[in-house]
Amino acid sequence: MSRRIVAALGAAVVAACAVVAIGKVAVGAPAGPTSSLRGAPLPRAPRPALSVPSPRDLADSRHVSVWTILVRPTTARARPDADARPVARLARRTPEGTPNSLVPLGRAGDGHGHVWVRARLPVLPNGTTGWVPRRALGAYQAVRTHLVVDLERLTATLLRDGRPVLRAKVGVGQPRWPTPRGEFHIRNRLTGYRDPFYGPLAFGTSARSAKLTDWPGGGFVGIHGTDRPDLVPGRVSHGCIRMRNDDVLRLGRLMPVGTPLTIR
Amino acid sequence: MELLLDDLDTRGALREAAEKAGISRAVFLGGTIASVVAALSAPAAAEAVSRNDIAVLNFALVLEYLQSSFYTEADRSAALHGKAAAAARRVGAVERAHVKAFEALLGRQAIKRPAFNFAGTTESDRPFLKTAVAFEDLAVAAYKGQAPRLRSKQVLASALAIHSVEARHAAWMRYLFHVQPAVSAFDDAASKPKIERVVAGTHFIVARPRMEARRRPRLTG
Repeated sequence: MSRRIVAALGAAVVAACAVVAIGKVAVGAPAGPTSSLRGAPLPRAPRPALSVPSPRDLADSRHVSVWTILVRPTTARARPDADARPVARLARRTPEGTPNSLVPLGRAGDGHGHVWVRARLPVLPNGTTGWVPRRALGAYQAVRTHLVVDLERLTATLLRDGRPVLRAKVGVGQPRWPTPRGEFHIRNRLTGYRDPFYGPLAFGTSARSAKLTDWPGGGFVGIHGTDRPDLVPGRVSHGCIRMRNDDVLRLGRLMPVGTPLTIR
Repeated sequence: MELLLDDLDTRGALREAAEKAGISRAVFLGGTIASVVAALSAPAAAEAVSRNDIAVLNFALVLEYLQSSFYTEADRSAALHGKAAAAARRVGAVERAHVKAFEALLGRQAIKRPAFNFAGTTESDRPFLKTAVAFEDLAVAAYKGQAPRLRSKQVLASALAIHSVEARHAAWMRYLFHVQPAVSAFDDAASKPKIERVVAGTHFIVARPRMEARRRPRLTG
């Protein structure tokens, strides 16, 4: 046997031993550039405790409405500018003592780094809009409900995500004190009073009577129960929307404050 | 520019903010969960997690609430433009997924979502990006600070998986805000007092307004 053959056999034996040795610690590990990753076996990584779903864009926001409160009294102006014409002075609280609220309709900067928000205002004439400084407003809150009152059919329909979830007959304003038409929102929820005229539950709205401007509190229109269910449906009120007590209690379970209100 | 968290850190009062949010300071700091854990009917998944880890998870959940609410509001406001708007939409979707995952794991032991007043920062591009950078840096630093405290390897694996996502968000927002995405070779964790000061200093966590009154209506009737 030549020396070359002996050397080749020796190299083959050494190589075989090396393969066996490596195979014990990294079975099946590929040779080549990744060989430096070979080492002591590692335990499998623990399974995460959280199951994170796939990210999803916001659901259809057509039926989402945002509202907010006033955190300080402020002046609504005709343009997003501190020097613009005043449209209305807005109090921090409603006549019932809850925070005054607004529904933002748009926003703009004033060129000085301040954000202004356009909102429908709870003032006469109904439907008045104005710009208020964003810093006068609180947290934005979203609702997916919408209450529609039909003055012809004398019905109230509560929609959630655009679908009706409650429909009830209502009493509305007499011809001399008509319930105002337009776009409004629910401002507060009143309970615990002892006045059967309003039933067990009342909602304050941003709608105002154009006729009863000297009414205590400024003539805001409400949605409430009644001690005269026999008058519902009908044109019987001073402008408020009356419901039978069972219906207003059902509404109370389904409708959050901030819900947009359409009276048509 | 480094650590934009400091720009928002105007006053240290996380304790107050945590209380407003209905979170005890102890829970917020990860010390104990006794005051928030509703032991009744906790789902099996959360029962398997130690109290220590639940406290850390709730701490993370508050930060996820903060971020998801911020991006969701920005997306919904439709006031942002171009890449900022696109980032708000995408990152918001991810943060909402994180919230869902935490809530699913914690079940009834999950802290309730606080109310947030972002004070206009969701309604124009530059304040949005500046705040987003701060939030993402905050989340990255917070996860890093809490990870060594976790006892469950499964929870740790989850935290690490989310931590790297938050780091990507931080880099993305820094890029959009024209600040260096990667400044140093070693990131420090934020201490608990640091997180306290930053979150409270923003005054973004607010009490939910009470819109119900026990008073006689002053309505037209």
